[in-house]
Amino acid sequence: MATSTASKPCKDRRQVLVMRFTAGERVAHWVHFIAFTILLGTGMFLYMPALRPFAVGEAGEASRLAHRAAAVLFMAAPLVYLIWSPRDFFYSLREALTWGPDDLGWLRAAWGYYTRGDTARMPPQGKYNAGQKFNALTQIITFILFVVSGLIMWFGRGVVSPAIFVGSVIVHDLSVIATVALFILHIYLVAVHPLMRESITAMFEGTVTEEFAREHHGKWLAEQEQERVYRRCRDE
Amino acid sequence: MSRLAMLFDASRCIGCKSCQVACKQWWGLPASETTQVGTYENPTDLEPNTWARVTFHEYEANGQFQWLFLAWGCVHCTQAACVDVCPTGALKHNALGFVSLERELCNGCGYCSQACPFKVPRMETVNLLTGEARASKCTFCQDRATNGLTPACVKTCPPGALEWGERDALLEKAHARVEWLQSRGYDQAQVYGETELGGLGRLFVLTAPPEAYGLPVNPQYSTLVASWQQVVQPLGYLAVAATTLGLAFNWLATRRARLSNIEAVEPDATEESEA
Ligand code: HEM
Ligand code: SF4
Repeated sequence: MATSTASKPCKDRRQVLVMRFTAGERVAHWVHFIAFTILLGTGMFLYMPALRPFAVGEAGEASRLAHRAAAVLFMAAPLVYLIWSPRDFFYSLREALTWGPDDLGWLRAAWGYYTRGDTARMPPQGKYNAGQKFNALTQIITFILFVVSGLIMWFGRGVVSPAIFVGSVIVHDLSVIATVALFILHIYLVAVHPLMRESITAMFEGTVTEEFAREHHGKWLAEQEQERVYRRCRDE
Repeated sequence: MSRLAMLFDASRCIGCKSCQVACKQWWGLPASETTQVGTYENPTDLEPNTWARVTFHEYEANGQFQWLFLAWGCVHCTQAACVDVCPTGALKHNALGFVSLERELCNGCGYCSQACPFKVPRMETVNLLTGEARASKCTFCQDRATNGLTPACVKTCPPGALEWGERDALLEKAHARVEWLQSRGYDQAQVYGETELGGLGRLFVLTAPPEAYGLPVNPQYSTLVASWQQVVQPLGYLAVAATTLGLAFNWLATRRARLSNIEAVEPDATEESEA
């Protein structure tokens, strides 16, 4: 067994906690979350005619300014991650970008898993399952699209051709549509879906129970056991 | 009330720029400092504080040299891209038939300046970093027009090259003038603005083809702008609705499975495993 200091048994097996996200990862995640929510809210004032009262005159000017401030935060979030937790940053990046047979297995088993809680056919997953990898991939692509199109709309008016400016608004909007659909799905899975709710403690406290880790990220848990000292009991 | 319009008759224009000055005077717009770049045009483009401008063009036809003048500014499209992209309603169609601009409503996003096929609206950028800005353009003197007065430029024009009135009557006049010009040897004389973009509020009698005046021959509402408004925005609502609906079904299915699993665990725990 691992050389873990916490390898002494906990009173209750279900009390064994496994570290899933470091402080750096969590801070980056929540900075990203806050920035994204502000960007979405202030962006919607321009997008939805129903919200026109918020887009008008000085109110609109203030919300456009808030959009710019949040955009800076949004662009800083990955840097927080990179600087604070470089090791996890590259580990996660590699994990999210590497696809293997287990991802195919996830895709095959996902329907039964997410509707009937049918775990039997689900192959053990790494730190991120195929769904999370797909989410990460979309986040990375749309992040680049948001930054490029947003900066063109911010600094490029009159510098780039009108077609490029208008094209940037369209790219910006398509990125909004993709990320909002995923955002709703993400919130649903961590906060509403009857079988997945425990995953959210990983983003608040950094840990999940060993049981949850084994069930949802078995391959990753096995890796952790060999590599890192990441366990403790709940009451310590 | 039938639609009001402005008619500019190029064959009467003497290039004196009184209209340009009258516009500045009525709206209290400061003159901008310019440099001599070898043309009578001054300034050489529309600006946040220059909404009306006379342009000068050299043109040769049948071995004859002509100097063409054009009184330029917003042409008040029927299918106005600026009105459609404006997220605040600062740009609107006025019932009298022109495109009005309420500067207090403008939030400075600048979409109109990029969507207009004539590049008319200009942004007065106060601060590039904060994005503080205001759009500006000719409004046919909306304050005067809505109070029964003619726009300042029309009021001023010494040779009567600019006219203000009911659009139908002005069109009739324009066609009669073109016929007369053609009979006098101006075989390229034509009306511009009758059908362009659903019909313009600024009509032109030209003595040469539109290109010679720097006017677009067949101005188009950009397909990019149209798709942003008519495809991308509805797509957003559809995507959110579809996602939410799908998840609602998933929630019901999962909950039912969970309930029946709990029941199944008691009497027959092996129900799930078939492998
Ligand atoms: C680096 C990140 C970003 C930058 C620099 C940026 C910048 C901008 C700019 C300059 C505009 C034009 C309006 C204005 O001038 O104020 C805009 C519009 C908008 N932004 Fe962003 N943005 C970014 C990220 C986001 C994100 C993450 C979202 C949503 C989740 C978003 C949603 C919107 C929406 C909905 C609009 C309105 C587009 C429309 O009118 O159809 N933006 N953004
Ligand atoms: S010319 Fe440009 S600014 Fe004027 S109504 Fe047409 S689209 Fe709007």
